[in-house]
Amino acid sequence: MKFDLTIALADRPGQLLKALKPIAKYGGNIISIIHERENPSDGFVPVSLVVDFPSKWNLQKTISDLRNMGITIIRAEEIVDTSRIIAILVGKANLKDIIQRGIKNAKIIGFEVSDPVSEDACLKLEIEVPTRLLDETLENLRRMAESEGSLIILPI
Amino acid sequence: MLNVIIAGFGFIGRKLVRTFHKKIDLIKNVDSKFKIIGVSDSKGYLYNLNGLDLKRLSSVKRLSEYSEEYREGRSTEEMIEKGEANLMIEVTPTNVDDGEPGLSFMKAALKKGIHVVTSNKGPLVVAFRELTSLAKRNDCFLLYEGTVAGAIPIFSLIKRCLQGDTIRRIMGILNGTTNYILSRMYFEGTSFELALKEARERGLTERDPSYDVDGIDAACKAVILANALMNRNVKFKDVKRTGIRRVTQEAISLAKKSKFAIKLVSVIDKRIEVSPKLVPINHPLCVHSTLNAIHIETDLAREITLIGRGAGEETVSAVLNDVLTVIRETASRSRKI
Repeated sequence: MKFDLTIALADRPGQLLKALKPIAKYGGNIISIIHERENPSDGFVPVSLVVDFPSKWNLQKTISDLRNMGITIIRAEEIVDTSRIIAILVGKANLKDIIQRGIKNAKIIGFEVSDPVSEDACLKLEIEVPTRLLDETLENLRRMAESEGSLIILPI
Repeated sequence: MLNVIIAGFGFIGRKLVRTFHKKIDLIKNVDSKFKIIGVSDSKGYLYNLNGLDLKRLSSVKRLSEYSEEYREGRSTEEMIEKGEANLMIEVTPTNVDDGEPGLSFMKAALKKGIHVVTSNKGPLVVAFRELTSLAKRNDCFLLYEGTVAGAIPIFSLIKRCLQGDTIRRIMGILNGTTNYILSRMYFEGTSFELALKEARERGLTERDPSYDVDGIDAACKAVILANALMNRNVKFKDVKRTGIRRVTQEAISLAKKSKFAIKLVSVIDKRIEVSPKLVPINHPLCVHSTLNAIHIETDLAREITLIGRGAGEETVSAVLNDVLTVIRETASRSRKI
């Protein structure tokens, strides 16, 4: 699991090295590190790290150790790898209702309803889904369309 | 030395005879004694162990017009049972319900040790494992390049050129008629009904258009691909199938705005599915009009896409190549003996 971990370090030599120790201790693999020395504030420098931890627990233990060392945690958030996909629904279903109810695991980024020339209504949805939940979400979408008697057209 | 019989003298059968006549020098370069000794249709057969006259056979529409040698009321099985042929080309009409009559002809031929080349999907969809085991037991070739995507050499490519690869996924536009309809809707903004009418007028649909538009034809091809190339044992009923009848002009227009085309795509991986899909317009699979395309994903070669003509007379190219393969392979076997 990847995390965005931003900490505030005192602008003194050796502080960064000290801060990296708990990360290593709890199995964190540092993917990137940005040491913003040009933006010090009250003698502190923000350091942004992207760290891959085996689990959330490892991150929490690292944060706890960093705090015990007197290091301020500015941000600690999971970075969720997301996929954007487009789906087209054709049917008599209440398309407004689908948008209002939402889709499990997915964030609706955009939608477009066509001028109904045919009997069936047509809705284009653009959704954002955590990549690890993509298959599950697509299956949910398929089931939802099937239960409403709509045709769903998904990307290859 | 190949003695060939042909079961079926419809559109493909006649085209094939004409092609043999046209390419006879090329064929004779590989097998100087190549001859067609029998051709059957649903009402009888022609048979001559010295070889039928290809020029005369090319000029007739019905076998009965060839000569008085036509044995009316006699069956294709009887022609096979003579046992004098060593290759049967099976090009009778496709029947995906029970594979007949082609299935019985193929079984009879293989049991007699006669190699089989076919472009008929029906028997392979109904009894793929049975036919391939029968061929193996009787040490026969059973080649069927013409059954999927016409002239596109998908089986030859994978079996000969990608022998060490594992196929992870196959996606394909395997039905030219639906691709024509969806392309008309995409480029001209016509309705499904109008595009279907146009396809019918151009002679692109089967008598029953549901064979094309409900994805039956594409599903049959997906079954053959899955069984032949991905070592699966699936039947027609295992395919999750949705046709294109409900694809509207509005759906196509919305897709187009996001740079997608809607295509009837067969997907074979963990699932086996035929349904309308959004295909990015710059994806190699995004071909238009009656073209077919097959996109394969393998562990070593990664992605390969083949594009070509999928039905009609181009199928003869695949059948002829299979015939030449049997000639070469049997010649190489006899050299080893």
